[in-house]
Amino acid sequence: MKRIGRGIGLSFYGTGYGNGFPDVSRAKVRLLKDGNVGIYVGGTEVGQGARTIFYQIGSETLKLSSDNISFITEDTSLMPDSGTAAASRQTYNTGNAIKIACENFMDRLREVAKRELKLNSTQGLKVNNGKIYLEFFPRKVISFKELAQKQKGNVIEAEGEFVAQTVEMDSETGQGAPYWPYTFNACGVELEVDVLTGKVEILKTRFAQDVGRAINPHLIEGQMDGGFAMALGYVLFEDLNINEGRIKNQKFSKYLIPTAMDMIDLENVIVEDPESTAPFGAKGVGEPVMIPIAPAILNAIYDAVGVRITELPATPEKLIEAIEDSKEGRVVKHG
Amino acid sequence: MIIKLMVNDKMVERDVDPTKRLLDFLREDLNLTGTKEGCSEGECGACTVIVNDKAVASCCVLVGQVNGDNILTIEGLEKNGELDIIQKAFIEKGAIQCGFCTPGMIMSCKALLMKNPKPTVDEIKRSIEGNLCRCTGYTKIIEAVQQIVEERCNNE
Repeated sequence: MKRIGRGIGLSFYGTGYGNGFPDVSRAKVRLLKDGNVGIYVGGTEVGQGARTIFYQIGSETLKLSSDNISFITEDTSLMPDSGTAAASRQTYNTGNAIKIACENFMDRLREVAKRELKLNSTQGLKVNNGKIYLEFFPRKVISFKELAQKQKGNVIEAEGEFVAQTVEMDSETGQGAPYWPYTFNACGVELEVDVLTGKVEILKTRFAQDVGRAINPHLIEGQMDGGFAMALGYVLFEDLNINEGRIKNQKFSKYLIPTAMDMIDLENVIVEDPESTAPFGAKGVGEPVMIPIAPAILNAIYDAVGVRITELPATPEKLIEAIEDSKEGRVVKHG
Repeated sequence: MIIKLMVNDKMVERDVDPTKRLLDFLREDLNLTGTKEGCSEGECGACTVIVNDKAVASCCVLVGQVNGDNILTIEGLEKNGELDIIQKAFIEKGAIQCGFCTPGMIMSCKALLMKNPKPTVDEIKRSIEGNLCRCTGYTKIIEAVQQIVEERCNNE
């Protein structure tokens, strides 16, 4: 016999290191010899799309096509540190550092252009599409390329540093503002529990993620799809089975992660509410996508068969035992 | 033992221990490192290559077993500098994240499309069931193959 249940899960998640810990990202921007712009940043691309986002933020800030930007990343001998690709912090923290470095770089460009164009001041100098020009007299113009050639040995470059604002919690009361910013996440699922076998099948899901501003919706969807799959395995089947310090399920034939057959059509909803301290309003979405899914599934199981599972994974064995106990009126914590 | 086989449309002849795994033969002897080693026991699909039109886990095949056979690896898909339609669809749909499962995943999709040019969603899912991916949740991978099928249907 199968029973249908529905559940929701809501969460909020602070990105970055938090709790007053120094959370610093740095970036360096340099005018290259060929007139292109090099952005040097330590932020690591691990498939999440950091490089794409960095390109977008750099290109948008410099008002320059990404074809004219070279990203030089992941080499500590060439660039300042941008912290770890962890804590869902690269878009917000390193994105901010890149934006600040690009703005500082544009100030440097204006100073050099002022000298080259024999102007009184940097007032009214615009940087756009690889050129620096006087907005109200655009004939006063110099391109990045010309500027690069004229500098000879002198390098035009600027650095940017972003330090996230977080406050250490009071160890006595637990009060404080340990993170900034937070992202907000919601998931609803409808599922079916087979009362005889304990098998859970997800029928439908709708899954929403607050992203501040979606500067690359395609990459966000990728994070949401992947986060859902990881959560599905975490809730229903993944079990290291540690016994006296040894992992017993040490193979993929025993430690089951979701396959393509386990996935259902996801309805992803991207919620945009630009964050004022973020680069173009964008917040991190790596980890937070996964958080509301477990409670949504466990609440739906409760709705379907009236039992609370308090330890993951909610395996068929655990579910059947819990259902049997509830029939006999025993109140047992299933974990 | 002298082994003769076709790899990516080229005849290869090597004196090699026949008990060497096909995966190691490809990576070490032929320097075709696009094929990845994951679990080494046929569970994850990262090492998938096509042997005589069938997707196989190259970690579970010995090179002596494929003597005289026709092998296709991820390196053999690009033709005259142009990517295969599956590679293009993967890029367009964003079906790649960390990329470790991607060569094996693409070879499984290739084997499917070689024998079934217009698979259903269920057939696509079944064909990549043996390829584990931790990043994408498979959604965009399935969509990439669906896109190829849709284009084929529209061009008829």
